[in-house]
Amino acid sequence: MQILANALVSAAGYLLVGVGFSLIYTSTRFFHFAHGIVLTAGAYVTFILKVWSGFPLSISIFGGIIASTLLGIGMEWNIYRPLRRRNASPTILLLASLGIYAALQALISLTFGSGTKTFRSGVVPTGLLITGIRVTGPQIAIIVISGACCLVVWLLLRYIRVGKMIRAVACDPDLAEVFGLNRDYIIRVVFLIGSALAGIAGVLLTYDADMTPMMGFRVLLMGMVAVIIGGIGEIPGIALGALLLGLAQHLTAWWFSSRWQDAIVFVILILFLLVRPQGFLGKPLRKTAI
Amino acid sequence: MEYLLHVLILICIYAVLTVSLDLLAGHMGILSVAHAAFYGLGAYTSALTAVYLGVPFLGGILVGMGIAALVSFVVSLPSIRLHDDYFIIATFGFQIILFSIFNNWIDLTRGPLGIPGIPEPVIFGWTIRSHRDFLILATIFAVFAHLIVGCIVRSPFGRVLRAIREDEVFAQALGKNTLRFKVTSFMVSAALAASAGSLYAHYITYIDPTSFTVMESILVISMVIIGGAGRLWGPLIGAAVLVTLPEILRFVGLPSSIAANIRQIFYGALLVIIMIVRPRGLVGRYGFGE
Repeated sequence: MQILANALVSAAGYLLVGVGFSLIYTSTRFFHFAHGIVLTAGAYVTFILKVWSGFPLSISIFGGIIASTLLGIGMEWNIYRPLRRRNASPTILLLASLGIYAALQALISLTFGSGTKTFRSGVVPTGLLITGIRVTGPQIAIIVISGACCLVVWLLLRYIRVGKMIRAVACDPDLAEVFGLNRDYIIRVVFLIGSALAGIAGVLLTYDADMTPMMGFRVLLMGMVAVIIGGIGEIPGIALGALLLGLAQHLTAWWFSSRWQDAIVFVILILFLLVRPQGFLGKPLRKTAI
Repeated sequence: MEYLLHVLILICIYAVLTVSLDLLAGHMGILSVAHAAFYGLGAYTSALTAVYLGVPFLGGILVGMGIAALVSFVVSLPSIRLHDDYFIIATFGFQIILFSIFNNWIDLTRGPLGIPGIPEPVIFGWTIRSHRDFLILATIFAVFAHLIVGCIVRSPFGRVLRAIREDEVFAQALGKNTLRFKVTSFMVSAALAASAGSLYAHYITYIDPTSFTVMESILVISMVIIGGAGRLWGPLIGAAVLVTLPEILRFVGLPSSIAANIRQIFYGALLVIIMIVRPRGLVGRYGFGE
């Protein structure tokens, strides 16, 4: 049971990142690797506000999430949009996002050092015992907030006008444009939602544990794998995928050693790519676009 | 003078890496993020066989290249059928799995402690001790890799690779078994990367997993793309630029930890700028579906 609880906490983090990543992927059709640094930035901005400037925790967390959102939209506005304007291929956009990631991660390492940082103060809470399972307050917060955020995004995509527009652009960008939807505007909205989710994930994860400049990349890779094995664009599928990864990681840690937690995720990914490349709930992929 | 020789040796080692990656990226149009893993595979094979079994230098290199070719064959089975972004994600996965093995299989690789005391290379009685001798050896390796890749891309085999890059379905329609071409060049590329790894291990005489991370793969990709993909001189120029730059920073008086971060900021930013301004790099022929 304890393993299940821990798996749920990990899965909640991957879910938040995965949903944002998947939203951005379905609207823009490229892998936005810099999403990882958006998450890290949220955590570090919270750290600056809380520890360096001495703001109260709630304001710092809010500031961190806002900073992530702005960073994500800034990337879209200044780098991806000009690239799309000249019909850059998805590979070019992907390379650009790798470049952004590498540069910003080094910038964070340079400013804060590559060691761990935390914005918590005082003693580490020992957690509550609920029917024999030990969970801390922040861990409950991660699970609840992550679930709530994803439910909101899911409802938004289904029932709200903007959400339907996002789905239209994801489904067929050209046709959506013919119907008068402004693709750039929709992509901006998507980056806004996705980056805010990444910021929330960054703050929540560092509220539970520590932060390092590399943290975003690791969580992003896990989120990405959750998206691929769950089915791109399907939020319930991503939740399933994230849960599977969380379980696999904690079972590996229990049976063998926590050292192999990252490797097992990619073994699962490769199995899925071999057997069911569209994921749990995804639609079959076209082999090539001719 | 010793110092200048050191920089030149590093350029030669990276030239082997970039030229071999360019066979995939520039000539065949698929990007692999697992190059540092094959580089590490060569380094670890050489180091382990030399330190524990006393295998001579050339033997270690051949074993390393053989293992890398074998592993890349296994890696290519599930991943090479995937398209563009999915292939990149799959190679990401293998990069992280292999890094986990370097870092966590402590009985074999000593994990983060690394392997010290790798002996100096001896080739047919010629013991390579000085930097000058090593530069000669490294140059031979770089020229060798250059010639191999040069021969491949000029041959009919290379023409098929370019056909795959331009339009894989068309190449298939001409009756080419594109899968076989892709797997073969993936294996050649991995074996050459492994030879660079062996050279590096014997030159530095100490290796640890931090030299073979995802960021190292991204560095090699940046070198290829900034120099120019799809042209033999392009990757060489990229390697020279990105190796020399942090050394210049060291001259200005920055400690090497800061210089490493500044280099990462520099190549990340340069990658983004090149993608916006000139996706085919300084002298390249291929711009990733520009």
